[in-house]
Amino acid sequence: MSATMTDGLSKGTTGPMTRDTTALAAPRRDFGWLAAPITGALGLAAFWLFPEDLGLMTRIAATALYVLSLDLVLGYCGIATLGHAAMFGTGAYAAGIAAVHLVNDPLVLLLIGGAAGGVMALVTGGLILHARGLTLLMLTIAVTQIVQEVANKARDWTGGSDGLSGVDPAPLLGLFRFDMFGRTSYLFAVAVLVVGMVAARRIVRSPFGLACRGVKEDPLRISALGGSPRAYLVTMYAVAGIFAGVAGALTAVSSGIVGLDSVSFSWSAEALVMLVLGGTGRLYGAVIGTVAFMTVHHILAATDPFHWMLFIGLFLMGIVLFLPGGIASGGERLRALLARKGEGDQA
Amino acid sequence: MTTTLRKALLGAVFAASLGVGAADAATIKVGVIAPFSGPFAMFGQTFKEGIAIYQAEHGKTVGGDTVEFVFRDLDQANPAQSKALAQELIVKERVSFLAGFTFTPDAMAVAPLIDEANIPAVIFNAATSAITEKSPRYVRTSFTLWQNTVPLANHIAKLGVKKAITAVSDYGPGIDGETAFKATFEKAGGAVVDTIRMPLKSNDFAPFMQRIKDSGAEAVYAFLPAGPTTLAFAKAFTDNGLKEKGIQFFGPGDITQEPDLPALGDAVLGMTTSFHYSQAHESAANKSFLAKYKELFGSSDNATFTSVGAYDGVHLIYTMIAKTGGKIDGLKAVEAVKGMSWESPRGPVTIDPDSRHIRQTVYLRTVERVNGKLQNTEKASFADQPDFGYKVGK
Repeated sequence: MSATMTDGLSKGTTGPMTRDTTALAAPRRDFGWLAAPITGALGLAAFWLFPEDLGLMTRIAATALYVLSLDLVLGYCGIATLGHAAMFGTGAYAAGIAAVHLVNDPLVLLLIGGAAGGVMALVTGGLILHARGLTLLMLTIAVTQIVQEVANKARDWTGGSDGLSGVDPAPLLGLFRFDMFGRTSYLFAVAVLVVGMVAARRIVRSPFGLACRGVKEDPLRISALGGSPRAYLVTMYAVAGIFAGVAGALTAVSSGIVGLDSVSFSWSAEALVMLVLGGTGRLYGAVIGTVAFMTVHHILAATDPFHWMLFIGLFLMGIVLFLPGGIASGGERLRALLARKGEGDQA
Repeated sequence: MTTTLRKALLGAVFAASLGVGAADAATIKVGVIAPFSGPFAMFGQTFKEGIAIYQAEHGKTVGGDTVEFVFRDLDQANPAQSKALAQELIVKERVSFLAGFTFTPDAMAVAPLIDEANIPAVIFNAATSAITEKSPRYVRTSFTLWQNTVPLANHIAKLGVKKAITAVSDYGPGIDGETAFKATFEKAGGAVVDTIRMPLKSNDFAPFMQRIKDSGAEAVYAFLPAGPTTLAFAKAFTDNGLKEKGIQFFGPGDITQEPDLPALGDAVLGMTTSFHYSQAHESAANKSFLAKYKELFGSSDNATFTSVGAYDGVHLIYTMIAKTGGKIDGLKAVEAVKGMSWESPRGPVTIDPDSRHIRQTVYLRTVERVNGKLQNTEKASFADQPDFGYKVGK
C-alpha cells in the first residue's frame, strides 16, 4: 500500500525502528482479525495446560495490553516514545487510590484507570507532540520522570516508595473472587486483553486510524488534504493512553499493589523492547512479543536466578539479527517464501 | 561381646530405619524472593551466604525433613512481579515458607497470598515498620529505621546537643528515619531546626551542606541508601568545612555497612552510627559465624547485616519446622516463635510477641582503622530495643 512511497518527505517522518515495517504490514491478505480469537483460545488452553503458572500468565496478559497500547502510538503513528509507563502508572495509581478510598468493583476500577490514563495522555500529548524524533523521545522520558516524582512525593496518596498496598477488589460481577491461584485474575485479564485487541483493531482500521497511518507516512500530504496531523496524533496518543491506563488498572487489580516501578523509565523501555521483539504495526505483534519476552525471561530467571540476564541479552540479539522485523515478521516471510515457491512450481 | 555389639548396632539401624519411615520424611521448601542480579544483587548474594552458613552449621534436615531453598530473582522493587513470583512459589513449587524481601513494597505485596495460603513469610531485610501490621504471618529478622534511630536520637540529646538538623534521602526509609529522629529528639528536649529531604539520585550535596551550615545546628542526622551517594555526602561534609566547624555527624549504620567501607575510605573515619550488627562485634557467636563465612566463601569481608538477617531468618524457619513437626500451619508456626530468644551473631535477640519484629541490642559505633582495615567499633549499647515504629501510623 505504502511501500512505494519513497519520496523525500516520507523519509523524515518514519524512525529507524519502524522503517521496514510498512512493507511487511501490508500482506496480500489480511488475517489480522484472527489474532483476537486465537489469543482468546490460546489463553483458555493455557488456563487448562498450565494451571500452576496463572500468576505469571496474568502479568503477561496485562502487559500485552500495555505493549499493544504502545503499538498504537509507535506502530501506527510513528511516535517514538520512552514514556509510555506514565500512562500505565497513572492508570494503576488511579485505580489503586480509587480502590482504597472509593469503590472496589473491578470493572469500575478499569474504567477509572482507563480514564486517568487517557486524560494524562491527552494533557501531556497536547504539550509535547509538536516535537519530533529525538526531542520528542526526550520529552516523553521527562514526562515519566515527572509523574514518577509526583507519585513519590504524594506519599499520603500513593504510599511513595513503599508502594500503594491494600487494593482489595470485590468479586468480579459479584460472583468470582480474586483467589490465591489467580484463576479469576487470569481469565479476567485474558478477557480484557481480547476485548482490547478487538477494539484496537477497529480503531486502526477506522478512517481515523487510517488518517493516523497517513500522518505517519506523510504529514505534509495529510495537511494538504485538509487534516490536522497534530490533532490526529494527540487523539491517538490519548486513545493509547486509555489502553495503557486500563492495563495499569488491570495490574493493580490483579496484584493488589502499585509500586513506583509502574511509572519508571525502565518499564517504558521494556515495553519498547517487547514491541520491537514481536514486531510493530500489527497489534498481534505486541502480544507475541510480550508472551515471548516474558516467558523466556521467566524460564531463564527461574533456571538460573544469578546469571539469566546474560542469556536474555543473547536471545534479544539473536532475534534482532535473524528477524529484524520482529517475531511476527517471521511468519510473513515464511508465507512470502512459500508463495514464491508455489508460483515457481506452477511455472 | 562382639555379638552384643553387633546386635545393638543392628537394633539401632533397624530402629533408625523405622524411625525415619514413621516420621514420613519430606522435603520442606522455602521460597526466597530477592535481587540476585542487577544493581542490588549484593542483597541476594548475602542472603544466600547467610542461608548457606546456617545450613553448613546445622545440616539440611530438621527432624528427618529436608529443607530446600528455592531462589527467585526480583532485581528491583517491583511489587506486582513479587506477587506473581510468590504465587508461583506457593502454587507450583508448594513452598511452606516465603523468605527474603529486600524492598518494602515487595514484602507488602505478598500479604494477601500468605494469609490465604496460611504460610509464614520471614523478612530478611525490608525495614518499614508498617509491613508486619499487614499480616499476622510476617516475622522479621532485620531492623527498622525507628529501631536504630530512637536510641541514637536519645544519645545525641544526652551529649548536650540542643539544635539538630536532619538530612535524608527522599524515600520511605529516609522519611521513616526523619520522623523517628524528630519525634524522639524533640521529646528529649532538643530542637530540630530544619528537615532536609534530598532527591534519591542526587550526587551534588554542596547546596544541602550550605543549608546545614546556615541552620546553626550542632549535629546532623543523615540517612542515605548505602553506596556511592553516601560517599559523596560524607566527602561533601568534610570538603565544605562542616567537620571543621564542629558539626557532629550521626546516622543509622546502613550508611557505613561493611562491604562499602573500603570504598568509603577515610572520608567516614570517626563517623558515629547506630546499628544492630557490626562485623567487629565481640562475641563467640559472631566469631564462629565469621569463621564459617571465611571457610565457605574464602573471605568474611562481605559479612554484613543482610547476611545475619538471613542467617537468623533460617534459624526461625528451622525452629518453626521443629516445633510444628513439619506440618506447616502459618499461624501456629508464627505462634511457636513468638517470644523466642537466642544468641545471634549480632548479640542477644528476641521475637517480639506483638509486632513479630526482632528485638535486639542497638550499638553505637565509630568507624576506626584497626590493623589497616576500616571497621565499626562498638562504643556503647542499648539492650533489647523494640520496633518503636510499630503501629505509630503515618
